[in-house]
Amino acid sequence: MAQVRPPRGVFLDFPLGRTCGRPNNLEEQTNILKDALQALVRIKTPGQMVDLPYEWGRPFTIQDYVREQKEMLEEKGEPMQEWLPKK
Amino acid sequence: MPIDWVVHANQYYQGQGFPPYMWSVFEDSPWTLFEKTLDQSRIALLSSAGISRDDQVPFDPWALNDLSFRRIPVDTPFERLKLHHNFFDHRDALKDFNCVFPVQRLRELEQAGFIGSLAPEAITLGMGRLYKREALQEQTVPRIVEVLKAEGADAVLLVAG
Repeated sequence: MAQVRPPRGVFLDFPLGRTCGRPNNLEEQTNILKDALQALVRIKTPGQMVDLPYEWGRPFTIQDYVREQKEMLEEKGEPMQEWLPKK
Repeated sequence: MPIDWVVHANQYYQGQGFPPYMWSVFEDSPWTLFEKTLDQSRIALLSSAGISRDDQVPFDPWALNDLSFRRIPVDTPFERLKLHHNFFDHRDALKDFNCVFPVQRLRELEQAGFIGSLAPEAITLGMGRLYKREALQEQTVPRIVEVLKAEGADAVLLVAG
């Protein structure tokens, strides 16, 4: 996102798929959205990205992402797509 | 410490033999001064989480270059929504679509007067892996902008999946 530079942005350091907060956590979701919407009127410098203060509560890494994606696909009974570049 | 997705994607795809991806890097941002207050504004939602309604063609979660988008009335009950996207752990989103498609929260903010109104249709996009950047910019985006203008949106909240 920092490379793409949307006009105004907020960054939430949560794992992918929880962009607006945890499931069924109305207060957290509402706070995140309020912060994002307020950035619309508060950010005056094009391309500025504001870090939101909410914490996921435990570390998460690329390895977690890869593992969780695999688990999710296994639960669905769907194999990971394997495709190789055309030579 | 935020995950560096660019580094990860580079390693993942180049590790499979793909040539390096030319990431879009912009030096500056498009800018229009926003002169309204939130409670005067109509906000539209755009989400890239692969969500469609049960009477629409679903997104293909393994797609490449799917430049299509869906228009979803914001009062659509969640039971009618489908999510097809395999590149984020969507199990939480399936418990509560608001994680990536926060229409219920936005409707509440509208009722509370925090925003003037929520645009009646949200826009959804599917799986990323869009390599046809020009087509995206020259074909898809203007059509989305037409929808947004027709519904009187003052600003768009972009929610990445």
